[in-house]
Amino acid sequence: MSGKDFFVKRYRQLGWRYEPIELKQAIRINSMNAERTEVTKRLESRGIQLQQIPFLEDGYWISKSDFSVGATTEYLSGLYSIQEAAAQMPTTLLSEPKDKLVLDACAAPGGKTVQLADLMCNTGAIIALDIEKRRLTALSNHLERCRVKNTIVYHQDARQARRLNLKFDRILLDMPCSGNFASDKEWFNRRTLEDVENNAKLQREILIEAKKILKEDGEIVYATCSLEPEEDEMNINWAITNLGLQTEYIDCYGDEGLTDIFGRKLDGSVENCRRIWPRKTQGFFVCKLKKRAKPR
Amino acid sequence: MSQISDFIGKFNTSMSLDQDLIVKKDDRYFLLDPKLKSLIKKDFLYAGIYLGRTKNDAFFPSFSLLTMLAQTDPNRIVVDNKTEWLFICGRDIFKQGITRLSKPGRKGDYTLILTEHGDSLGFGRILHYVDTKDKSKIAVKNIADIGDFLRRER
Repeated sequence: MSGKDFFVKRYRQLGWRYEPIELKQAIRINSMNAERTEVTKRLESRGIQLQQIPFLEDGYWISKSDFSVGATTEYLSGLYSIQEAAAQMPTTLLSEPKDKLVLDACAAPGGKTVQLADLMCNTGAIIALDIEKRRLTALSNHLERCRVKNTIVYHQDARQARRLNLKFDRILLDMPCSGNFASDKEWFNRRTLEDVENNAKLQREILIEAKKILKEDGEIVYATCSLEPEEDEMNINWAITNLGLQTEYIDCYGDEGLTDIFGRKLDGSVENCRRIWPRKTQGFFVCKLKKRAKPR
Repeated sequence: MSQISDFIGKFNTSMSLDQDLIVKKDDRYFLLDPKLKSLIKKDFLYAGIYLGRTKNDAFFPSFSLLTMLAQTDPNRIVVDNKTEWLFICGRDIFKQGITRLSKPGRKGDYTLILTEHGDSLGFGRILHYVDTKDKSKIAVKNIADIGDFLRRER
């Protein structure tokens, strides 16, 4: 079960008509290192045309640039990061992260870790994990370039995060996933439903671990860049049923989570999630989950 | 640790770093805050502010340390836009590219190289008294520049 026709038909059944898109490059200003207006002014003086992303405070699309925005003094000085628009959303959904202990469970290559440090104004602490050591080098370079000060990085599988012996206020699960066609031109040729199911299983294993190390009243932001419901709404439905986690309403760009997947009815609270079909951005899915304190 | 303070001294400045909050991992040094210090485990890969590494007794600073150094009163030179990019590409600095001598330093000293906006681009060794009249002479030898972030990714 694979191929473009197979997946496009599934999207149609989920209520979305496939259309190819050209992704716009986006940047995010690291406001801990510079004022937004100062950075935009400096980039515009170099001939880079920017367009503010309407649903992101620090996000800008690159409308025009005659050279790579990854090769400017401002970039190398950590004043901004190159980060796709939808990928900038999950981190902004963590409530009041300042001074908190936050786990970034699948952190490499670090775009969201840096964004988290920025939102935390380098306060509190971030523990960043990743299973792929090679990608942790990119993460470390990213942290150094962007002057992040509040992060500890470990080479560790998120499914064994309890070994840290810590309980977290907030957990960001930017899950390893199947991706989507908007950010990978070969996606339809490479992916099968079996891949999707394997990734969904891995994501559930990470969710189980995350729940164990989350403080009472703590929250998890779950994100994938997959459009496949097995990795999105169906996993959230599973977490509600099997882990006792509750979804929280999030006010952000995107459509409500689907509660009817190929005829299967999911818990009504799954609609609190946000599904982002590829239009202005790549495909994405985000959800906020809360672990309620047990009544005494 | 003395290697770090010796390095800082070459910029004709000083900076106080809490020794209790500095941790060493293999040949690399990191500065933590008390919160990170209370959380850190031995098998970390990166933590807090990366200060730099030692190799054969020589100290190689991180760009975070250079940014911290810029907050003190080190030898520093401000360069023009064209020189800024040439320096990032690994080139040395000629007198004609220098726009401001905030604290020029002496021959043989280290100096920070800053943009007009105050961003630290890296550092170099002063080869000539930079107020020399011969504008074609190399004034500062490039030792490290932030273009390294691009070169590391290759």
